[in-house]
Amino acid sequence: MRVLLVEDDAILGDAVKAHVASLGHAVDWVTTLEDASVSLRAVTYSLMLLDLRLPDGSGLTLLRDMRGREDATPVIILTAHDQISDRIEGLNCGADDYLVKPFNLGELTARMGAVARRYARIPSTFLCLGELKVQPTERRILRKGEDIALSGREWAVLDTLLARRTAIVSKSQIEEALYAFGAEIESNTVEVYVSRLRKKLGREVIETLRGVGYRIKVDDVKAD
Amino acid sequence: MPNQPSISRLLTVWLSGGLLVFWLIAVGLGVYVMQDEFGEIFDSSLQETAERLAPLVVDDLFLRDDNTATRQLESLYGTMPDEYLTYQVRDASGRVLLHSHNVAADPYPAPLKAGFWEDEHRRIYTVSAVSGTVFVQVADSLDHRKEAATEGGFALLLPGLLLLPLSVLAVIYIVKRAVRPVDQLRQAISSKDSGNLSEIELDRMPVELQPIMHSVNLLLTRLRGALEAERELTANSAHELRTPIAGALAQTQMLISELAQSPAQPRAMQVESALQKLATLNERLLQLARAEAGIGASGNAVDLAPILDLVVEEFDRRDSSGRLIYQRDAGLSLIKPANPDAFAIILRNLIENALLYGAADAPVHIEMGQGGAITIRNKASAMSDEELAHIRRRFVRGDNTKPGSGLGLAITERLLAQMNARLELSSITTEAGQSLFQAKIAF
Repeated sequence: MRVLLVEDDAILGDAVKAHVASLGHAVDWVTTLEDASVSLRAVTYSLMLLDLRLPDGSGLTLLRDMRGREDATPVIILTAHDQISDRIEGLNCGADDYLVKPFNLGELTARMGAVARRYARIPSTFLCLGELKVQPTERRILRKGEDIALSGREWAVLDTLLARRTAIVSKSQIEEALYAFGAEIESNTVEVYVSRLRKKLGREVIETLRGVGYRIKVDDVKAD
Repeated sequence: MPNQPSISRLLTVWLSGGLLVFWLIAVGLGVYVMQDEFGEIFDSSLQETAERLAPLVVDDLFLRDDNTATRQLESLYGTMPDEYLTYQVRDASGRVLLHSHNVAADPYPAPLKAGFWEDEHRRIYTVSAVSGTVFVQVADSLDHRKEAATEGGFALLLPGLLLLPLSVLAVIYIVKRAVRPVDQLRQAISSKDSGNLSEIELDRMPVELQPIMHSVNLLLTRLRGALEAERELTANSAHELRTPIAGALAQTQMLISELAQSPAQPRAMQVESALQKLATLNERLLQLARAEAGIGASGNAVDLAPILDLVVEEFDRRDSSGRLIYQRDAGLSLIKPANPDAFAIILRNLIENALLYGAADAPVHIEMGQGGAITIRNKASAMSDEELAHIRRRFVRGDNTKPGSGLGLAITERLLAQMNARLELSSITTEAGQSLFQAKIAF
């Protein structure tokens, strides 16, 4: 996933960015509403982590603007406002979840996973791709009980494919997901990462639709 | 409150009493003036009678040959019951020459001297004629005058006796009407509490009460400002305190993951544990500050049932053990004049306590029953009434081996009191012999 983190506190922002990146997601971290607006217009994010009290205004203003222009990017509010009225206001403004500071990073991971699943319409916590068992929120792939390790960029490509698993994903959409990792995108970069994924997961997992894009083959969706 | 002074009662009693006293004084003065005026009228008629009678009597005496015997004039109309005027004609020696039919022949005790004379029975006017040789004395009974004065007095008093009760009723009515704005102001002031500090706006307030209303409104504005400032400070403090704790906690947790297998990891975990405790204590102190600022009361009635749903959902997401068993009948509402945020604090504290101090493997039952009573039950050791009273105190924990601040119940009680509700703690034993701790919110 490509995640936009909007947090003005340097210490907390740094830790959250490092944690989210450690989960294999690409993170853009900004500290003001203005920068967040610019980022949102330039890039399509899979998730935004939004602080409410920012130096140049309230995060709720940004959220209202987004929903007003029908930007459906999932948003988790990270805030020190713990009152139930703040929570209701945040959810009414279009937030998908609300996490009160201080929070455990594990809880943040769970909330991010829940929101991502909800948007990807994955009601369970793991997917079956042939003999593979994939747990996107846990960043785990098992083949007959054995872990398969993927790099952050490989996860970014797989996440993009999983998020739109019933549709075809274009090459440019995958390129955008890779940009977040600061990767230098060359004409064959997408092919390189798709090739690596096929090598690790099996050729049959990712289908190539020549001249159109790629599609992942999900056999089944199961609950834990 | 029969012993409390009442302006209405005081005004009614004093005005009615004053009215009675002034009425009696007025009647007394009236009787006095009337008696004086009556005296003048009676004297005038007495004098006029004597002066008109004198020439007739003298003429009659001169026409008669024998004036040696005392004569009594007979009445032409018989004896009348209300005859008060009598007269005697006397010579210079005092002998009665002639007298009216309704008086004895004995001479009046009045001296033979022109003018008025009075004893305890009558008032006499004497005129002299024929160079002081004949005296005509006309007497008027004082009973006549007393009777006139008494009847006049009663004539003044009787309407008063009828009007006085009506006057008292009028006083009561007027006083009630006059103090109605005071009562309205009293009610408006007494309706103010920490949940309703809006200004008092009453139409047609008398000028005497307007400065009071103005001062009360000024006070309410200042109080509202102070409470707002206190609440804002608490909210700002929450932000200012939570963010650095959140940063420190997140950095520590990252450090722990980066120090995997390192001997320094346990130390980092101790730092994390300390930060978690600090976060919990900070949370409780902020809640206590809010409770002390009186956030519980509210002038607006809201449905608290959805707040219960939200808080339970919050715990469900945080705690994946599935210990919470929540039951609320569909359509059941809890509409109360309470602050939703304060109610959420109460629920969080009680549920946290149940999860923390209840048996780890046992479920926590949360129920909202008919009538809006909310009960939270968990498996726990039996507690005596003294122990139940003890854990309500600040900084007292039910189990010192468990983490906690010991403030949760004190905060809960404070907020519930502001909502006119109460917290009932009980230790119950089921038929199966299982001990349960129950916290009940009763509105």
